[in-house]
Amino acid sequence: MANTSYFSRDRIVAPPGYSRWLIPPAALCVHLCIGQAYAFSVFNLPMTKLIGITKSAPGDWALTDLGWIFSLGIFFLGVSAALLGRWVEEGGPRLAMFTAALCFGGGFVISAIGVYVHNLWVIYFGYGVLGGFGLGIGYISPVSTLIKWFPDRPGMATGMAIMGFGGGAFIASPLSVWLMRQFSSPTHVGVAETFLVMGAIYFCFMTVGSVIVRVPAPGWKPEGYVAPATPKKLVTTKDVYVYDALKTPQFWLIWWVLCLNVTAGIGVLGQASAMSQEMFPGQVTAIAASGFVGLMSLFNMGGRFFWASMSDLLGRKNTYFVFFALGAALYAAVPYTGEIGSVALFVLAYGIIFSMYGGGFATVPAYLKDMFGTRYVGAIHGMLITAWSAAGIFGPVLVNYIRAYNVAHGVAKAQAYNVTMYLMAGLLVIGFICNFFITAVHERHHMKVQKAGAEASA
Amino acid sequence: MSGREKGMASNVSHQGAGNGLKLVLAWGFVGIPLAWGIIETVTNALKLFH
Repeated sequence: MANTSYFSRDRIVAPPGYSRWLIPPAALCVHLCIGQAYAFSVFNLPMTKLIGITKSAPGDWALTDLGWIFSLGIFFLGVSAALLGRWVEEGGPRLAMFTAALCFGGGFVISAIGVYVHNLWVIYFGYGVLGGFGLGIGYISPVSTLIKWFPDRPGMATGMAIMGFGGGAFIASPLSVWLMRQFSSPTHVGVAETFLVMGAIYFCFMTVGSVIVRVPAPGWKPEGYVAPATPKKLVTTKDVYVYDALKTPQFWLIWWVLCLNVTAGIGVLGQASAMSQEMFPGQVTAIAASGFVGLMSLFNMGGRFFWASMSDLLGRKNTYFVFFALGAALYAAVPYTGEIGSVALFVLAYGIIFSMYGGGFATVPAYLKDMFGTRYVGAIHGMLITAWSAAGIFGPVLVNYIRAYNVAHGVAKAQAYNVTMYLMAGLLVIGFICNFFITAVHERHHMKVQKAGAEASA
Repeated sequence: MSGREKGMASNVSHQGAGNGLKLVLAWGFVGIPLAWGIIETVTNALKLFH
């Protein structure tokens, strides 16, 4: 019997004539909101002055303690995406998006209470745990739906949504600053009210996405689309069950491919401002360095759409070959740009590197679809996101510790990043090798037709 | 063209117009805030580099 509740998958099957181009904005409604996570740092400094108002006073929170809010959010993003992927797939995108809206919006409201009562643990729970669940569920919720609507261009479709995650900070950052300015007074910083308003805005925005989203009717195909008679060697037409994917070497090779690509980017991303100033002393000021960081975020966002769309033409494996080969060459060339004092070449090299960093995130759902089919691609993607969490630890640790070691051993600050750059290039070479070994999944891992049918109707 | 065919053609044309409006609204809903954010960022970045 069909489940006809408002959130059920049966209720959101698209009627004939429904335009598939309504699905990317539905996905963007969610990803543009959860992308706020990248801009959370704008709250850090104001939250160190909740008591002192103009400067930190005794009893105010330290920056190091506040840093845990973002880290917890990203940690629970990975945990929830990995644990709840199957539930997201089987419950359908509307239920998942609405749940993400409740968690993410609710996380802000609880954090507002935490600020109001001045209890950091409440914020850890609010934004870190509950908000983190919203991030994870929201991140994977539209992936398989987009792939099913765009079988002809899966890379471009998921690239559009994941570009939204990169772009969310562009909206959140100025919005947060503007709201705090509106709510602040000589005796008040205005963070709690900003959290409340942002929670309400994000809840509404994400809910609109959950209202718009539809799944295609069984057997639906885009007009004029004919599936290739002989599928490409690395593109399967069969499905692999979510937990069976973990038993394949392909899953773990793609896990390393993503982890290494992200490690190379994420470590440098956090240090981009300091690095640009230290490599070009006197040429790049602190203010220009902030502009550089903003520019890199634009490359990161644009690369998500550009490279994921390109992967539909080049193929997923070839696209990652480009990331690793070109990325390694550019990282190896960065110290040279410092030696010749060319800021323009430095910015160009990093622009391309960050476009490929974003591209790595955006291309991976389509890579998984090619390997494991569309049925559980969202859930498998959820489990793969643990590679991002791991990279979030490896990347910054590698960059920070190697730089600190070099400086402590007398290396000039301008050259302190050289070893790191060569190491990042080396990591990308390892990524290239992992990508090289990816082959089609053995048919013993494919779901049997009966099991696929039973699961689909579950 | 029979009456039924005319009705179906009219439905398709209404559906097309409805879809067009929905598409403009949906893309505007996400596109306008994103464009605003990008313009803010680019403006700031350019100011800083000058």
